[in-house]
Amino acid sequence: MATMARPSRVKDEPRRPNIASADIQLPAVRDYEQVDREISATLHPTVAWFIGLGVAILFLIIGAAAWMYQIYTGLGVAGYNPPVMWGVYIITFVFWVGIGHAGTLISAILYLFRAGFRTTIYRCAEAMTVFAVMTAGLFPILHLGRPWKFFWLIPYPNWRYIWPQFKSPLVWDVFAILTYLTVSSTFLYIGLIPDIATLRDREKNPVRRRIFGVLSLGWRNSDREWRHFARAYLFLAAFSTPLVLSVHSVVSFDFAMALTPGWHTTIFPPYFVAGAIFSGIGMVFTIIIPLRKWFGLKHYVTINHLDAAAKLCLFTSLVVGCAYMTEWFVAWFSGNEFEKNFFANRIWGQWWWASAILYTCNMVLPLTLFKQSWRRNPTWLFILSFFINLGMWFERFVIVVPSLSHEFEPWQWAGYSPTWVDFAILAGSFGWFSMWFLLFIKQLPVIAISEVKEIVPPKLRQTHDHGIDSAGRHLEFEPSTPGEAD
Amino acid sequence: MSGVIGAFRELDSAVYAVEALKKERLGEITVYTPTPRHEIEHAVNAPQSPVRRFTLFGGLFGATCGYWIAIWASDYWPLVVGGKPVASWVPYTIFGFEVMVLFGALATVLGLFINSRVPRLTMTVGYDGRFSGGDYGVWVACPPEKYAQAQSLLREHGAVEVRDER
Amino acid sequence: MSSETSKPGVKRREFLKVVGAGSATATMIGCSSERVEKLIPYFVSPDQTVPGVSTYYASTCRECASACGIIAETRDGRTIKLEGNPDHPVNRGALCAKGQAALQGLYNPDRYRTPMVRRGGKLEKTTWDDALKIFGDKLAEARRNPGGVAFINRHQSGGFPQLLNSWLAGMGMAPALSIDPDADTTAIAANLQTFGVAWPRYDFASTRLIISFGADFLDGWGASVPQQLDFADARARGANAPRFIYVGARRSLTGLNADDWIPAKPGSELAIVQMLSGASTPQQAAQASGVDVARLTALQTEFAAAKPALVLAAGGGPNGMELCLAANALNGTSGAVSIADAYRGFEGIDPVSHIRALGQRMQGGGVSMLMVHNVDPVYLMPKSSGFRAAMAKVPFKVSFSSIMDETSEMADLILPDNHSLESWGEAQAVTNTLSLQQPTMDPVFDTRAIADVLLAVSRTTGTPIATMPDYRSLMISRFPGGAAGLAAALPKGISSGSVQQPAGSKALPQPVAAANAGNGDFTLLVYPSPALGMGEGANKPWLQELPDPVTKIAWQTVAEIHPATARKLGVENGDHVIVETAAGKLSLPVYTYQGIREDVVAVAAGRGHADSAGRYAKAGSNAFDLLTYAEDRSGSIMLGSTRARVTKDGGHSRLVTTEGSARQHGRGIAQAVVVGQLGGTHEASGSEHAAEAAPQGSVSGEQKERALGEKAAAGEHGGEEGHPEFPGDASHEFLPGLRSPTAKDAQGDLGGPGTKSKEKGMYDPEHWSGMARRRWAMTIDLARCTGCSACVTACYAENNIPTVGADWQGPKVLPDRTGFGANITRSREMSWIRLERYFEGGEDGGADFETRFVPMLCQHCGNAPCEPVCPVYATYHAPDGLNVQVYNRCVGTRYCSNNCPYKVRYFNWFGYGEPARAQYAFPEPLNWQLNPDVTVRGKGVMEKCTFCVQRIREAENRAALEHRGVEPDEFTVACAEACPSRAITFGDAADERWTVAKLVNDERAYHVFEELNTYTAVVYLKKVNHPGAMTTSPVAAPEVH
Repeated sequence: MATMARPSRVKDEPRRPNIASADIQLPAVRDYEQVDREISATLHPTVAWFIGLGVAILFLIIGAAAWMYQIYTGLGVAGYNPPVMWGVYIITFVFWVGIGHAGTLISAILYLFRAGFRTTIYRCAEAMTVFAVMTAGLFPILHLGRPWKFFWLIPYPNWRYIWPQFKSPLVWDVFAILTYLTVSSTFLYIGLIPDIATLRDREKNPVRRRIFGVLSLGWRNSDREWRHFARAYLFLAAFSTPLVLSVHSVVSFDFAMALTPGWHTTIFPPYFVAGAIFSGIGMVFTIIIPLRKWFGLKHYVTINHLDAAAKLCLFTSLVVGCAYMTEWFVAWFSGNEFEKNFFANRIWGQWWWASAILYTCNMVLPLTLFKQSWRRNPTWLFILSFFINLGMWFERFVIVVPSLSHEFEPWQWAGYSPTWVDFAILAGSFGWFSMWFLLFIKQLPVIAISEVKEIVPPKLRQTHDHGIDSAGRHLEFEPSTPGEAD
Repeated sequence: MSGVIGAFRELDSAVYAVEALKKERLGEITVYTPTPRHEIEHAVNAPQSPVRRFTLFGGLFGATCGYWIAIWASDYWPLVVGGKPVASWVPYTIFGFEVMVLFGALATVLGLFINSRVPRLTMTVGYDGRFSGGDYGVWVACPPEKYAQAQSLLREHGAVEVRDER
Repeated sequence: MSSETSKPGVKRREFLKVVGAGSATATMIGCSSERVEKLIPYFVSPDQTVPGVSTYYASTCRECASACGIIAETRDGRTIKLEGNPDHPVNRGALCAKGQAALQGLYNPDRYRTPMVRRGGKLEKTTWDDALKIFGDKLAEARRNPGGVAFINRHQSGGFPQLLNSWLAGMGMAPALSIDPDADTTAIAANLQTFGVAWPRYDFASTRLIISFGADFLDGWGASVPQQLDFADARARGANAPRFIYVGARRSLTGLNADDWIPAKPGSELAIVQMLSGASTPQQAAQASGVDVARLTALQTEFAAAKPALVLAAGGGPNGMELCLAANALNGTSGAVSIADAYRGFEGIDPVSHIRALGQRMQGGGVSMLMVHNVDPVYLMPKSSGFRAAMAKVPFKVSFSSIMDETSEMADLILPDNHSLESWGEAQAVTNTLSLQQPTMDPVFDTRAIADVLLAVSRTTGTPIATMPDYRSLMISRFPGGAAGLAAALPKGISSGSVQQPAGSKALPQPVAAANAGNGDFTLLVYPSPALGMGEGANKPWLQELPDPVTKIAWQTVAEIHPATARKLGVENGDHVIVETAAGKLSLPVYTYQGIREDVVAVAAGRGHADSAGRYAKAGSNAFDLLTYAEDRSGSIMLGSTRARVTKDGGHSRLVTTEGSARQHGRGIAQAVVVGQLGGTHEASGSEHAAEAAPQGSVSGEQKERALGEKAAAGEHGGEEGHPEFPGDASHEFLPGLRSPTAKDAQGDLGGPGTKSKEKGMYDPEHWSGMARRRWAMTIDLARCTGCSACVTACYAENNIPTVGADWQGPKVLPDRTGFGANITRSREMSWIRLERYFEGGEDGGADFETRFVPMLCQHCGNAPCEPVCPVYATYHAPDGLNVQVYNRCVGTRYCSNNCPYKVRYFNWFGYGEPARAQYAFPEPLNWQLNPDVTVRGKGVMEKCTFCVQRIREAENRAALEHRGVEPDEFTVACAEACPSRAITFGDAADERWTVAKLVNDERAYHVFEELNTYTAVVYLKKVNHPGAMTTSPVAAPEVH
């Protein structure tokens, strides 16, 4: 920001409201009817949407076929190369769980922090969370040698009283992931109820109207409902917050609890949580930026919102980068031969290219977000988000593969190269995720109608030719979407 | 269940109407708003929501269950793994926590449903689809003889439409 | 079970009962094949066989000429395991990998199921009556010109050659050629000339210095197993052990066991021997051998000082005969060669020149009928000898081979012989000791013993050579005491006496020199593969999958060159080079090996058979194709005299190797001490002074305890090792000898004050099962281990481990891998015990490097890292210290393997045990060998070494049935039982009466990766190094930081 120091530039800079404290967040949104109108307008399926859905389902079918082939023939069709006993599946599992974290972070943590910019993007993020966790949940089953026995990891009552081994991090995973899935989908649904009620009341088609009616549980927007709703929502947020932090910590225990060099480290829980949020926000960008364009919601998800989210992205990127640097330090400071040797092999040896991708995507490129003009450039954010997704996948690759391939026993050092089955199933997971998300965005509002109404000035008795803020204060008229010319 | 419903376009007029109706003690008042508004809350001035108790007890119960299942199951077949104690409470804290969150969250939702009387199968009298859109609705539950008074009150505070239902 | 073998007493009586009656009834039941399809094909009458209980037959191993004694474990009429016969004078209970794999010769899917006859150019199945009729007719024709008949017989000692020759003589035919491809006929000729015996016993223990000139006495040169036993015993004598120097162009397995290696030019060994004998000076020797003078002078002085010294030399070089004679001359005086205990099995072996001469006769059309028995001359004779073409000229060819090979593929009539485990016979093991051979089960297929066939035919052709109906009755007739005497002797497997050997000395054909030794700046060295020999083993998947002890290559033929040479050629491991000689050229992947001269390229023999030799044997390439045929003075083929050009070729193949990094990176996996560091003689015992005497880097249990004990004394309250007591603390000292937290931890949180015993369950030492009072453990003495890998094959045989390297098991499902060993290129071999071979020193690629072999298997940790990560209790800690793997409970998360520092857990990537699958590892009838006591693991589960838990439980149950406790050293595990170095000891470390309980307190004892607090149950005893004046390679254990 050194450039900002130059007075001439400062003069040129247009006035940009700070989104966190802005009185008016959506100047271009006049009243409640407009909100209803514009958002329910996004629900009409288009040709492009059908095509997208088709592609997603195609990918899903490819993945499913590959899995069936793997179940029949045996796990050997994947690229496993002992001692690298975990590969693409576990990597992708952690990747999707990570994606799942941004949603709850934005909808819960930022809610507690009263961060204004969450309102318009949280519904998307929350839905993304649920679907990402649904995707992630497949992989632990999918990577089993005998997937048909997966339920042995769940403490279900059985007449022989044979239980899971509760000291195993994998059983911790089962509990963490299932809890997270339940709570976050509950959170999503509770937030949806008033909006479904709105849709119900707008719907002409009797069938859809009936469905919405059932889904809305007969919600009436009465003051009593709102009162309990607010409390419940607050407590759910309060629960989700530690949950977000715990889930990825537990996932990181899968590695941290092992004595494998490169895994056996106490830094993993915070490191994983930061990485998860980082990747989640990356995915939010990937989803929300095209969405606001196609759905004509630029005046809801404004540049200001993207700007604020980008700052969060930058912050988490710095945290993650700090964790990477710490690994260097530990490798040197621990004086542990195994650790040193493995780390050298990861950075300069066998796996240098993976580390290079990781550092570039997760540490170097996000630094561009220090410059406001980049933060406020949706195109760049969109491109960057792809690098972030790639980088975060490779972060998990670098954690899983190099550690296993270069362990204590030199005689058993090996390499690893995935086969087409790995990639087909990876692609299938994206198909599965996209399918659910595409179905979601055309059936339910991607922006929380009732919450947006909270930040839209209400109608008051005496009419004004200018805006009135959410507290009813008079404001001078602001026509356009700030920061973006459209 | 009978009473008078008035629909308002503007927030402030709805607020004034509520305050006036409360003064007259015509009967129980329900306000429908497209979105929660503090103005209405203050006007109605309802007691603190009890949902939080559900949350508390749900959470406590969950934590207990989490520890219990892990410890009881481990002790049922006391097999030694890796020289660890058969029931090691430290890692079992994870189960305590996760199940606490799970039960706590579900109990909260339960509390929400119970307290705000959802799910309800039928729209009761007095509700109108507009109230989930842009308009505010004020419903006064009162006997027929008070209809006239309630309706006039609502009208003079600027209700765009007033009708009685039963 | 086979535990019997290591505990005589009880076993003997059972043998007498079972086998005595067995052999008596055998007359009626005989070796007929009608019952093959029965579930239980009875050899002994049913009342002798209890289903599910093993019967043991003492017999003789016929895989090489040494004639080791074996004990065949037979379950429900099928032989499932071979063990060494502990009472046998030759192998004393040990058995090598080849011997173990005899079972896969017996159950080989490529065996001939019936007699075959060539009709219309192709071989067709036929009946014995038909086949014998044809055979008889042809013999009748041939007898008109008996000179035109030749018989090539697989050499074996005992009565059969005698019978064969009298059968031939009866028809006026020449005696059979007696061929053993693996035997060093040069050395034999020299020995006969010097000592008058074919193969003397070398007394390693009495020597101070062993110098081997290419004599690989540990891997195939002569009587490997007894030589390995003697060598290991000698080297285990600590300060009194002989030093061992290996001279040769390539450092073989034997060479890797040497303290020093002198890389002499191929063929220059003679010069060095002459130097030792004083006939020449070090300068001359250095000039000839390309070794620097200082080194040779040192050798000379050391040899002069060391009395007695043992000099061994092998043939195969251009002047092999002279070399062996000179070496023998050096020994003549030393007294380290015992002629009295000579191995008589090697007598009467004919050199290959006879086959070459026969080939020339056949070429000239002088042979009308050729009979071959279990020899494969078409494969053995290099293409350059033109034998195949010559044999094609023979009008009628009969093969008695029991299994497909190139020769029988050309035969017109195939009369499949029984496998040696299906036939009667005897072998001359040592002087005045017969090693008896008896059928251990009914023939698998419709085959007949060649001896019985000859007897039958001799009757039909009207030249009866014996009145007996079959060979067994012939044995009885010869045997002192007749049937009763034989029945009494069979259980022991040996009897005094000897059978007359045919006079093997036929007129030696005039040796031929190389038609064209060729040119090129490399010498091609073709050596018999330690596992496959000269190719007989190639059809046995166990031997194909067994990584070569030196190169660690399986299923593949590679060109071994020195790293420096590889740099010059610009190739790396796996890149192809063209090895071209006057005889032909091969494109082979490179394996860079610093134990080879820079001007030598070595290729292992034994692989690359024709497709006709069966589904396994065709793996790899045939090194004989490169050999220009030449003989030395003894008529033996020269393996190290061909000149070769080596040029870079395009292409690259992944090496089918189990080798990761050949260096320890200072991790102290294989530790060693210099002999000087040993406290006194280290003869294994719980010596009290161990801790003081232990060298730095030693991790003797006692030392540790003492150190920690002091800490405790210094005021740290609590546990035996000075750790505070709290439930589940891993550092509890539960059992003496070996630290095992097992029981203490079970009490950890359950066993507070007032805990009822039943709550501790079986982890309570007071529990009636007493399991928690045991601690099964193992010691592996690296000073004894030679890396021969017999333990690996023994484990495959005992534990139903699938082989995964066949070319149909991988590529179908591994798109990026092809050919044999595809799964192994993804490190998916399943061997529960693996031989790790680490190099120390010589990082510059120099000749001064030391090799340490580490058998690595599940360490059965007291604090097993694999256990707590398993989500379903599929692996947990048994009260007796075993790390248990429950296959049925395993869901296949593979987390246990990730968390195993020793990487000894193996995953079933495919359904290796499912017959319907391409990856099926036991094609019929190989599955007959499967051990009924051990599960064949299913797809998607983890498996690992179980310490042969089936043997443990079997011994415990037998003890319980006999109302006694398990006696010390009553039984042992498969690897320990086979080990020809006696390096592995298994037992209960908690009971000081067991040998292992003493060994774990040996001063050389250490745990691998002890700093990880895994409390392993496998204790290694450090290798002992004997550095010489010129030794520069590191000799002390690397420290782990």
